[in-house]
Amino acid sequence: MADTEVKEQKEEPKKIVHTYPLVRHSDMAEETKAEIMELVVTACEKFSSNNEAAAKMVKDEMDKKLGPPFHVVVGEDFGFEISYECSNLLYMFFGGNLAIVIWKC
Amino acid sequence: MSPAKTARVSVYAAKKGVKSSTDTNDELEEWRRGKQLLKPKSQLDLSDAELKETIGKQLSTLNPQLPDSIVEFNYAAGGFISLPLPGNTVVVYELQGTSMHKDSEEARDQMVELGIDPSTFEESSESSLDTEPKAEAIEVKPEEEGEEATEAKEEEPEDEQAKPDKADEEPEAEGDGEGEVEVKVEPAKPPQKGGRPRKLTNQFNFCERAALTFNNPTRSQETQTVPPPMATFSANVLQWVIYDAYQKDFEAQQLEKELERERKERDKAPVSRHQASKKGQGRAQLSEAVQGRVLDCWKVLERMINQNTYDDIAKDYRYWDDPSDEFRDEEGTLLPLWKFTYDRTKKNTITDLEWNPYYYDLFQVCFGFFEFLKPTAEGAVCMFTLKNPSFPDYICMTESGVMCVDTHPRYPYMVVIGLYDGNVEVFNVQATCKTSAYKSNSVTNKHKGIVWEVKWAPDLPDGELNFYSVSTDGNINNWVLMQNELAVTTILTLFFAKESVPGPDGTHLKPKSCASCIKLHPKKPLIYLVGTEEGQIFKCSTAYSSMCLFTYNAHLLPIARIDFNKYNTDIFISCSSDWRIKIWEDNRLEPLFVFDLGDRVGDVKWAPYSSTVFAAVTSEGKVYVFDLNVNKYKPICIQAVVSRRRNRLTRLSFNPKLPIIIVGDDKGCVTTLKLSPNLRIPCKAPKKQQYLDQWTLQCMKLDKLLSLVREPVTLTFPQDLAGTDVS
Repeated sequence: MADTEVKEQKEEPKKIVHTYPLVRHSDMAEETKAEIMELVVTACEKFSSNNEAAAKMVKDEMDKKLGPPFHVVVGEDFGFEISYECSNLLYMFFGGNLAIVIWKC
Repeated sequence: MSPAKTARVSVYAAKKGVKSSTDTNDELEEWRRGKQLLKPKSQLDLSDAELKETIGKQLSTLNPQLPDSIVEFNYAAGGFISLPLPGNTVVVYELQGTSMHKDSEEARDQMVELGIDPSTFEESSESSLDTEPKAEAIEVKPEEEGEEATEAKEEEPEDEQAKPDKADEEPEAEGDGEGEVEVKVEPAKPPQKGGRPRKLTNQFNFCERAALTFNNPTRSQETQTVPPPMATFSANVLQWVIYDAYQKDFEAQQLEKELERERKERDKAPVSRHQASKKGQGRAQLSEAVQGRVLDCWKVLERMINQNTYDDIAKDYRYWDDPSDEFRDEEGTLLPLWKFTYDRTKKNTITDLEWNPYYYDLFQVCFGFFEFLKPTAEGAVCMFTLKNPSFPDYICMTESGVMCVDTHPRYPYMVVIGLYDGNVEVFNVQATCKTSAYKSNSVTNKHKGIVWEVKWAPDLPDGELNFYSVSTDGNINNWVLMQNELAVTTILTLFFAKESVPGPDGTHLKPKSCASCIKLHPKKPLIYLVGTEEGQIFKCSTAYSSMCLFTYNAHLLPIARIDFNKYNTDIFISCSSDWRIKIWEDNRLEPLFVFDLGDRVGDVKWAPYSSTVFAAVTSEGKVYVFDLNVNKYKPICIQAVVSRRRNRLTRLSFNPKLPIIIVGDDKGCVTTLKLSPNLRIPCKAPKKQQYLDQWTLQCMKLDKLLSLVREPVTLTFPQDLAGTDVS
């Protein structure tokens, strides 16, 4: 499964009020998770209109932090099936319409 | 070295020795001074002349050490033959050169080997320049070295290849000579090439050595680490998935918040210690849980049976309004409904009654005694529900008579009771009824008299529950429910207004008055009213512990009850054993209304539904209901509830929602009475002000009434015509 940056910006009517980061699935340690969530939030807010740049930023930071082979997907609609190194997966939602998958493999 | 040379050296040494001796002579003399020189015995004693004699020594080339006439045995000759003298030369350094003289035998051989005719070579060399021999000597060297190298390698082709090179070189070196040489050399080559070239090793200065160690056999050894654990994960991201996830999470968060809030509230109301101790029991707890579930089933069944048994009463309670009220103007009746008793407390007097502030059908009943000459062994507080008249829902037995009860308005399961022996206890009926959650220490911190009334106070700022208690020892205590104990503060001690009484040993004793009831102001949290057995009512504040704000000389005998009006909190009512009920206004010394009921009044309460209705019970077993709006002088209902000879009524309580009251008697029986429609007439709004709600109307009604009876203090009171006692 390649890390694909889905870029299409589909403008939906704003009926979603919840924009806080919501972790769907993760097997990371609690502190790491919190740290990464913060990073993701920063990246997605910094590049709110450019998912690719956001993903790149997150990936670079993660490589620096936890060692290189990290993959990051930021997008609105996609499916994925990945194999990852245990305790290195984070699947979260943010901003009401973005899904972010981060894994190491 | 030649002998001459050695001689020169020695001479030099001698010279040097002379020179140095003159130098060191002084030092030597200095050193010698004071020192006994040891002389060998054999030393000759020489005279000065002899010493000064110069003895010449001559150096010769002859070595006196050299052995002469050395012989050697010769086997061939069969005898010794003398060897020549070894020379005087000593070899100090020797270096074997690799160059050889071209005239020597070896050089000649070499030249033959190389295919050069030594004769021609000599010729050419002779004809060449003076420098030629030197060049030749240099030339040979690389030749031989190259050869040696090739010999070491033992590689023929290279050897052969090197040769032509040399052959090329030679002519070059001799280039300035004639070209003839070159021509002559060429034909000499072929024979050499054909024959196997002989190795020309210097057999004395050549040595070839080689050693080869064993090659260790290679062995491969490998280890493999465990690969990091991998897992797979897959999901689909769609907008609706994200939306749903957020919705779900938000709901969960809300739920969590709600639970958190509930938990906090539960923490605030301290659950008794007994629950904590119960946790450790495991199986017993489980069986208790099962029992509890079975108990619930039985309770439901019991209620169903009761509903069938008391079907007619239930219908009366719900639907029956006395139709005769329409024809009876300004009078009403009370319809008796259920009677509540509990077998174990049949001998007890009902000392207090109170509806639960949360469950409208539940009420607490205190079983104690008022006949202090005939105390009963035990007391109880029972919680009855209208749905089950046959048996109390909760029974809390105590060792002493229970004199008063109060239920916390926010935590309806927290019940505080005051006991005859001066103790106060707090029950958490939700947790357990068997033991109290809190109990005052019966040795150190309890009242030294009957606790006549307990009242929950508003929670402290940090959420701790607290209550007030009054007792015959004249103390008003504030109890705070700490983690696992009751902290007590005496906020006021009531003293007689009279001067101190001289004690037996000259000390002066200030007599304490006995508090008999307390009522907290419903709106001002600091203010409370205390009634005493001497008939006074003190208006006090928790802010001042030494004095009262106001004193009403209300009654002549112990005050049984004080109650604030539900609509106007400036108005309160009091009743006493001196047969009278009085209605007071705040800060007014004289009562607004006085009613004499002709017997000890046990209890009086304002109705929750009307500002002008109140009810009272007397010892002769009658219930009086007044409506000041209807009749300012007479009760609108007098009804004997129990038989006058056997029973006395003690307490009464209005249900906060339903039109019923409960009255308690001295035989442990609670009677429920339904108020007839005339006793609970709602206010009719004036035609001009239709929009006003009932609360405002009730307030207006009371104000209007009060304005009629409020009189300036200076006025003389008119003659009482109605026969009631207006003081």
